[in-house]
Amino acid sequence: MTVIKLHNITQSYDENKILHNINYTFENSKFYTILGPSGCGKTTILKLIGGFIHPTGGEIFFENKKMNNVDANKRKVNTVFQDYALFPHLNVYDNIAFGLRVKKTCKKLLDDKVHEVLKLTNLMEYKYRDISELSGGQRQRVAIARAVVNEPDILLLDEPLSALDQKLRVDMQYELKEMQKRLGIIFIFVTHDQEEALALSDEIIVMQKGEIVQAGTPKDIYDEPLNRYVADFIGESNIVRGTMVKDKKVDIYNRTYACIDGGILPGTPVDVMIRPEDIYIVDHNLGKLNVTVDSALFRGVHYEICCIDEDGYEWVLHSTKNAEIGSRVALNFNAEDIHIMIPGEDEDEFNERLESFQEDQ
Amino acid sequence: MRRLLAVPYFIWMLVFVITPLLLMAGYSFLDFSGNITLNNYAEFFSGNYIKMTVSSFWYAFLITIFTLLVSYPLALAVRMTSNKTMWLLIIILPTWINLLLKTYAFIGIFGRNGVVNGIAGWLNIGGFQLLFSDAAFIIVSVYIFMPFMLLPVFNAIDDIDNNLLNAARDLGASRTEVLFKVIMPLSVEGVKTGVQVVFIPSLSLFMITRLITGNKVITLGTAIEQQFLTNENWGMGSTIGVFLILMMLIVMIFTGGSSKKRVNKI
Amino acid sequence: MKKLSHLYLLIVIVLLYFPILYLMFYSFNSAGNMSSFDSFTLEHYISVFTNQRLIVIIINTLAVALISSAAAVLIGLGGALFMYNVKNSTRRILLSINNIMIVSPDVIIGASLLILFTLAGISLGSVSVVLAHIAFSVPIVVLMILPKLYNMNHSLVDAARDLGADYKTIILKVIIPYINPGIIAGFFMALTYSLDDFAVTFFVTGSGFSVLSVEIYAMARRGISLEINAVSTLIFLFVFALVFIYYLLSTHKQLKKEKVL
Repeated sequence: MTVIKLHNITQSYDENKILHNINYTFENSKFYTILGPSGCGKTTILKLIGGFIHPTGGEIFFENKKMNNVDANKRKVNTVFQDYALFPHLNVYDNIAFGLRVKKTCKKLLDDKVHEVLKLTNLMEYKYRDISELSGGQRQRVAIARAVVNEPDILLLDEPLSALDQKLRVDMQYELKEMQKRLGIIFIFVTHDQEEALALSDEIIVMQKGEIVQAGTPKDIYDEPLNRYVADFIGESNIVRGTMVKDKKVDIYNRTYACIDGGILPGTPVDVMIRPEDIYIVDHNLGKLNVTVDSALFRGVHYEICCIDEDGYEWVLHSTKNAEIGSRVALNFNAEDIHIMIPGEDEDEFNERLESFQEDQ
Repeated sequence: MRRLLAVPYFIWMLVFVITPLLLMAGYSFLDFSGNITLNNYAEFFSGNYIKMTVSSFWYAFLITIFTLLVSYPLALAVRMTSNKTMWLLIIILPTWINLLLKTYAFIGIFGRNGVVNGIAGWLNIGGFQLLFSDAAFIIVSVYIFMPFMLLPVFNAIDDIDNNLLNAARDLGASRTEVLFKVIMPLSVEGVKTGVQVVFIPSLSLFMITRLITGNKVITLGTAIEQQFLTNENWGMGSTIGVFLILMMLIVMIFTGGSSKKRVNKI
Repeated sequence: MKKLSHLYLLIVIVLLYFPILYLMFYSFNSAGNMSSFDSFTLEHYISVFTNQRLIVIIINTLAVALISSAAAVLIGLGGALFMYNVKNSTRRILLSINNIMIVSPDVIIGASLLILFTLAGISLGSVSVVLAHIAFSVPIVVLMILPKLYNMNHSLVDAARDLGADYKTIILKVIIPYINPGIIAGFFMALTYSLDDFAVTFFVTGSGFSVLSVEIYAMARRGISLEINAVSTLIFLFVFALVFIYYLLSTHKQLKKEKVL
């Protein structure tokens, strides 16, 4: 049972605080993704867990053992670096064998282990290639193989897919997920790509300016984003200002709509989010909102349609059917697709409100 | 461990870089018999040495200018060739020959019966003595320093993205305008480095003056060598040395900040 | 325009090589001067090879160069590794001190070391020459190695640590193999500086010990001696051969790389 616990972790460089008060517990054999824009401190968390830097405040526990000042080479944690960091003077085999050789593993065992991961990562035929002769995807696999051959309890991946092209990225996402299941260890994956996070993770940790904003399963975070920032970061959305009228009623642009949220004082200003795929087009006057189609972009699997309502506000929706530009139509959406967010509410308050409101029902 | 590995380096820098320079500065306050004095400085400012410093500066200036005038077009010409590395190598190759040997060759070339006089005689303007003249000193110095100027200038010019030149052409600049408005401003750093690596040695080299001009041209370097090795007046030699170091610092401030770039290019 | 620039290039190259070819040409002159070619002879070469003093001096020169360069590489490598991970401000100070040696004129280095050796009671001769050569080679080695270190992605070091390597292993198994080209370049650069040096050696050598450049200076001050021409011809051929081999090797390597890609 491996658990890493970050307790009140803060990290500063010179005067700059990179991380504020991070508290989080990583549990066994789950795929975690730390998601956030560049500079939000996500890579710093990886470096702390990897042992490349030591926290300026707070504690890191590995299975209840304090690890604050244990160096990287003494931790059962391995990292897949963003730029792979493969040793250019060693070939594929020797790169993978590096960690085992450092630990003075006997020759036979070393050879067996290296072959095992070569098989796992489909690199058998490249085993004596030079690193410079490999493609991006192959290098990526070598980097993973080099890390997992040491049988770490935790594998850290620092935006490992960012250097790959779109097609390869998607392929590698499947492979990573597959590998994590097979190895059954903690993967902590850092990315700024929300699609990657949604596709891969058991748990997503959304970060902003050195703090954890929201953590939860991909579905939780997608369906119940805590605030505008999370909603904007994960998926596309229409976010508009509104006012709570009473439980299950919200006022948007002077119209009142039914929703399913509650436990909020009437008159509270709120952010209202509706996902573009939850809005659908109906005939004029038959929906909740009359609009004019302003533009439509073909996105491959769907059309992204932009409409302007009678008060001049813009609504974006996704539809498999195209809409004629300039045509007058109406928009419809269901009460359960309206999501209410209170600006400034943090994760604990949010959860508390949800619980108490559900108990009231 | 990392610190331990660096110990020899620090000892080395302390003993062989910092200490000798401090010793030299200290010696500049000592007279012939080892007493503390300011006489060396007084003597330096008394006239002869100032004149020598100015003339040394003037020669170094001329040498640097002529070296630049030769090297800059050369750098442009090398950039235009299809096999830059090869041409560069051909130009740099003579720097691996000891400069004394090259200087020595000019003793023959410039001598009374050498080629230059031969050609001049054939053109009926002959009979002059190039060897032991200051013109000869400048020509030989330019010859010797040219590759050292060429390298940084070429690196700077070669670094200029071809598309910048194309863009300038596209925006209507003529070839000369491209040269003056794009290439030259973008290669200033290289020229600065080149000036640095030519000017300071031309102030201080003593073997070229000795071999080519006899004792006609005296540079700061010649004077230091004379004081240290012939007159054995280390105090005076050190005083001139202090001024040479000051000159060097002035040049470095004027051409400053480029030494790091040079390193990366080697 | 292009033609003009090629013409200029050719003229400069002809002028550059003229003095060297001039030297070589007269090395075969039986007249013993550099102005009128009398007849072809190899006597100057024979006298070089039978001049025992000159041969000892050539061996001295090579020994000084090899010993000082090797020592400079060892000392400089330690310095460069240290400078690689210190704070930027500290490094700037260290680099400026390092650069003093590089930009200092030879006369200053020579004269100041002469003072040092005399005060320290080191007799002028082979020891002082080797020490002086190490002194001016160390900063060059540092400057050749540092850019290589900076080129190295720092995550390589992190990766090695991540895989369990301690500092010694990181240096031996990761850093040194990576910066090896820089180390070799530093060694050869030190070698070139050492072989090329005249002024520093001239100051710190004693009467009993001489290297080639000092010897040539002494001979040249006495006037023209075609033995010098013969020596320079030999040196030039040697250098030319080395550079040619280097050029072939580097283009060959490049071709091989391109083929792989």
